[in-house]
This record gives sequence, C-alpha cells and structure tokens, in this order.
Amino acid sequence: MIDWNLAVKIFSFGLGAVFSSLAILIAAIYAFGKIVKVTEKRAD
Amino acid sequence: MLDMVMTTGVVHLTIGNLIMWLIAFLFIYLAITKNYEPLLLVPIGFGILVVNLPLTFLMHEGEGLLWKFYHYGLEWEVIPPLIFLGLGALTDFGPMIANPKTLILGAGAQFGVYVAFFGALLLGFKIPEACSIGIIGGADGPTTIYTTVHLAPHLLGATAVAAYSYMSLVPIIQPPIMRLLTTEKERKIRMRQLRPVSKKEKILFPLVTVLVICLIVPASAPLMAMFMLGNLFKECGVVKRLSDTAANELMNIVTILLGISVGATMSAEAFLKPQVIFVFIMGLIAFAFSTAAGILLAKFMNLFFKEKINPLIGSAGVSAVPMAARVSQIMGAKYDPKNFLLMHAMGPNVAGVIGTVVAAGVFLALGG
Repeated sequence: MIDWNLAVKIFSFGLGAVFSSLAILIAAIYAFGKIVKVTEKRAD
Repeated sequence: MLDMVMTTGVVHLTIGNLIMWLIAFLFIYLAITKNYEPLLLVPIGFGILVVNLPLTFLMHEGEGLLWKFYHYGLEWEVIPPLIFLGLGALTDFGPMIANPKTLILGAGAQFGVYVAFFGALLLGFKIPEACSIGIIGGADGPTTIYTTVHLAPHLLGATAVAAYSYMSLVPIIQPPIMRLLTTEKERKIRMRQLRPVSKKEKILFPLVTVLVICLIVPASAPLMAMFMLGNLFKECGVVKRLSDTAANELMNIVTILLGISVGATMSAEAFLKPQVIFVFIMGLIAFAFSTAAGILLAKFMNLFFKEKINPLIGSAGVSAVPMAARVSQIMGAKYDPKNFLLMHAMGPNVAGVIGTVVAAGVFLALGG
C-alpha cells in the first residue's frame, strides 16, 4: 500500500527545497559579487 | 572424477549467467567501439562478467573481493562522495556565477525526477524504490548510486546502468525534444557575453554554497560538502597538489572501484527481473521530462526578463556534465554558426548537479 501523503510531501518539499536553495544561492551570488566589487574598488 | 568436475564452474552455469555475459559483452563493446561512457562501462561490464561466473563467490558476503569493494566503497558511502570531490576539482562555476539566473534552469530540470517518482509509484514500486528510480532523471551517476544504495540497494545495478546509459545517450535523447519545444527564432537567440568572474567570487562560491545547501537539506551534506571542497581546492590556488590528485589519480581509482562494484551487483538472479525493464523505462521518461522542463522554464523566464535566454541552454539543466552543455552548443550552432552557447549552457549544467544533490537529499531524508 503506497503512502500517497508521504509521496506528495516528498514531491512538494523536494521541489520546494531545490528551488528555494537555488534561489537563495542566486541572491548570495549577487550579494557577494557586490561586496567583492566594493572591496576591490576601495582597495584601488 | 565426478567430484572434480563438480568443483568447476562449467557445470553450474545457468541460462541467466549466459544472458548476463551477453549484457557484459555488449557494455564492453559499446564502451570500446562507440565510446559510450567507457570509463564506467568497461569496469561495469567486466564486473558483470566475473560476478556471473559460478562458484567464484566474488560477491559472497564477508568474503568475496567484489563484495568488499561494494560494502566498504558503496555501502559505507565512501566512493560517491570521493567522486564528487573530484568533480568539484574539475568544475568551473564561473559561467554560473557570471549569470546566476541560469541556476533556476538547473532547478527546473529536476522536474523529471518527480515525474518518474510518481510514475514508479503507479507501477507498483515502493516509495524508497521510486525515489531511487526518480533520481535517474537528474542524470547524475554518483548521486543515483548514492541514493539507491541507501534506499533500494537491490535496484543498484539497474539504476546505475540506466543513469550512465542515458547520460551517454544525451546527444540522441535531447535534440528531438529540443526541436519539438523551440521555434527556429528561439534557437537563434544570441546571449550577451558573460562577464569575467573574479578569483574572490570563485573562492567564496563553494563556501557559501555548502552553508546554504547543507543548512536547507542536511542529508545532502556528504555529496555537497565533498563537491564544494573539491571546488575550493581548485579555486583557492594554494593546494594544487590536492586539487590535481582529487581530479586525476583519486578520481581514477574510485572510478575503477565504483564501476566494478556496480557491475558486481548485477548477478543474473538480481538483474533478470521484469522490474528492471520498468526502471529503464521510467529512467528514460525522467530524462525526457527533465530536458523538457528545463527548456520550458527558459521560455517562461523569457516572458519576464529583458535579456532573453536561448531556451536551448535549458536542456543542459540535466546534470550530465559537460555533454548536455555541448548538445546545446551544437544545436544552437546548427541554426546560427556564430552563436556560442557552450559557456552559457555550462551555468544550468553545473547548477543541475547541485539541484540533483538537493533532490537526492530530500529523498534520503523523507523516503527511507
């Protein structure tokens, strides 16, 4: 007997985790890109 | 005399053994003559051949040589993370850092994983088995193996071979789907040249990624941590010896052990079952849906972004690095020979590896 509740939970949490973690990574990349740019400018 | 004959393997051969020999010879033939994933298919094929020799007891629990490789290498979670260490040392995240939007394509291409997951459930597989089958859609061999060893070790041979077979068949599977879902105008979209990425950004990336991903999905830590450590070795520039070892010698050693261990799980009794055919069918469906989802997501993103994305790079969101990115490049160049999509496609390609590891982490956390 398949536990469909668990299957739906795996699907929704899985896809949610994939998109949210990669979205946070995108934000982080933009953020540290800006920080690096600023620090490099200051060093110049 | 009869006793002596009975100690030979010849009289114990079964039809199943002979069928598995044919499969082994086919793998070795495809690897040598067609160059299909030869680094994996040669040891896998050889593993299949020797494990189907009667009375050799190579997979005998506690004693067999190949059982020891399998047990200490795969069941103890050693080999797949070491492969990821090497992959990290070989991966350039520069194109992805230069255009972070492409990370979304890597996420979208995981859609096929869940299509296959539900498809497998409908075919009667249990949840842990369905997780192992679904992850084939991520087109990432070590992640598939890692997930299957944890959740459905009896399917290891089938899922691993399906994953590597479809990865090597990317140039055949993807182009028809790419043509079907894109217009000629879309295939000719030229993307702006990527900005140069500084060394500091490349060093920060693995550190930030390991923090973000492992905090959200802790179960993905063994693979993600090693992947990012390998990349840090590569980018920091002060441990060239470690980086070279991870990317070459160590990678080669663990590839041999991985291949022969996977092949060794494919005894006739374990492999010649109807459910193996279903695994291959669902794996193909997963792969096709992942490809389609990446392309469709790129088209969807084009509705909102001023700078258009060539949807052909969406298909590279399935991990298969760098084959899927090369397919995007070849396809794009076919319609516009001066369109260079390779570096743009590398973004979703490496993002797909991260996305697959996250999906696998959730399977391991909830599907076990």
